[in-house]
Amino acid sequence: MNIPKKLLLVLAVIALTLGWLWYAHRPVVPQEATMADVRAEAARGGYRLISTGELAKLYRQPPANLLLVDTRQDWEYRSGHIQGAVNFPMEPTWWFRWRAQGRLAALLGPDKDRLAVFY
Amino acid sequence: MAVKLGYKNVYRDPLGYPEWQKAGLPVATEPMGLCEPAAAAKPPGPLSGWAMAWTLLGIFAGGMALNLTPCVYPLLPITVSYFGGKSGQGRVRLWAHGLFYLAGLALTNSTLGVAAALTGGLMGSLLQNPLVLVAVAAILVFFATSLFGFWELRLPGGLTQAASKSYAGYFGSLFMGLTLGLVAAPCIGPFVLGLLTWVASLGSAWLGFLVFFTLSLGLGLPLFILAMFSGSLEKLPRSGEWMLWVRKLMGWVLVGMAAYFIKPLLPESVSVLLLAAVALAAAVHLWLLDRTPAAFRGFPGAKTAVALAGVILATFLVGDWAWRGPGVTWQPYSEQLLAQAKEARKPVLIDFYATWCSPCRELDEITFHHPEVVRLAEKDFVMVKVDLTRKGNPLHERLLLQYGVKGVPTVVFLDKQGQECQDLRLVDYLPPEQLLPRLSALSKQ
Repeated sequence: MNIPKKLLLVLAVIALTLGWLWYAHRPVVPQEATMADVRAEAARGGYRLISTGELAKLYRQPPANLLLVDTRQDWEYRSGHIQGAVNFPMEPTWWFRWRAQGRLAALLGPDKDRLAVFY
Repeated sequence: MAVKLGYKNVYRDPLGYPEWQKAGLPVATEPMGLCEPAAAAKPPGPLSGWAMAWTLLGIFAGGMALNLTPCVYPLLPITVSYFGGKSGQGRVRLWAHGLFYLAGLALTNSTLGVAAALTGGLMGSLLQNPLVLVAVAAILVFFATSLFGFWELRLPGGLTQAASKSYAGYFGSLFMGLTLGLVAAPCIGPFVLGLLTWVASLGSAWLGFLVFFTLSLGLGLPLFILAMFSGSLEKLPRSGEWMLWVRKLMGWVLVGMAAYFIKPLLPESVSVLLLAAVALAAAVHLWLLDRTPAAFRGFPGAKTAVALAGVILATFLVGDWAWRGPGVTWQPYSEQLLAQAKEARKPVLIDFYATWCSPCRELDEITFHHPEVVRLAEKDFVMVKVDLTRKGNPLHERLLLQYGVKGVPTVVFLDKQGQECQDLRLVDYLPPEQLLPRLSALSKQ
């Protein structure tokens, strides 16, 4: 490779890196997930959604196999949670999911038809 | 996730706890609220979790790269033929020999590592001394000049000869592994010595062992694999001038480490520019100025890739530094300040840090420069910084006792009543996305 070509390559690489840096540093407004996002995510994950009202109705006459799972961090759980819920802190990464599979299965128990509500 | 495990009746309440609480439905709090002391605090370590995994992976890769230096590379055929001679004895025994060989290699190196780490207790405190930092950097650069080919590091001849003799049996394999380190010393020595100084700075025997064990695994693995499949020997590129190029590359790695070592002594702008300059110089030396003939097909490509990596690193360092917005404004510790915060009912964050600690720098450079963190901090918090870089300040000693600080970084969170929230305490780097919920919980409380 001759020198001008090399320089061109270097410039291209610098431009790419700068572009990426700009992208990484651009100001981002943290967005609240819309209801549509939540629905799409539920469809992808294969679970159903439940509203606070429905859950409250369910909660008043709880079926024997209802399990409420609080997926927030333990300090959030400690500062207040739905009465009767158990804490199972989750992180939204595949690595965490893969690692925590066994623990979650143990928490939910062997009954595959069990009613589990996550929040 | 529960769905994947085969459960059928899985629901999610997207509005969760806040809505539930608003509707006045039954809630419970643990007897331990947000700010009660936690049962046991996690012991801080110099390296843990992901940082540890990545460091070890890097060292492993470094060990593999050492195979390409001119002292180790010619040994490959010898080792392989040594194992080839044993191949008549069947697969299982060959594997056993290979494992003994690896064990021998690991033994020499790990002993070195542990020794460095044990004496490192002394060195650990020495490393806070600017003079020592400069000396270490100078040693690293000195060894780098050896790798660049300005002078030759040699072992006494007798030792090299004894080491290259081959012995029979499993003990022979073990011994060959033990001595590989010695034979290869002229090339890998500078790199290993550089690593030794670093391990000594960590000051933990276990880490020292782990680092050097990983290094030997990396160094031994290609040999091991080649020995297992002796037939593949012809596919290796011939040894030649290109290996001198690899030596130069290792030399630049050492120069980079030297620049990193003296980072705490320099103002941030200078140290960033220095590191970027080293990366650029490496790219120019290894690519534009280099006249090493292309020994095999992938070589020019590898050269270009290394040079471009250098250019990217330099651009990234300077760009990232230049692009960063303003950080959190810190105040020095004073009782008066804490009293004021209590009066104004503002939560307080106390950051215990030292310039020589890399997770502290990461916390400062990434987390405490995140725009959202900065905004929250300016609005609702009193941010206090305690600099532990130099020992002997009586006020600092007292604070360390008062808050039970065992190492840096430690970030202590005080709530609006001035009470510490022990379960929020940080003893390691935390990305801004994970710090934000803690901050907002404290300010809302």
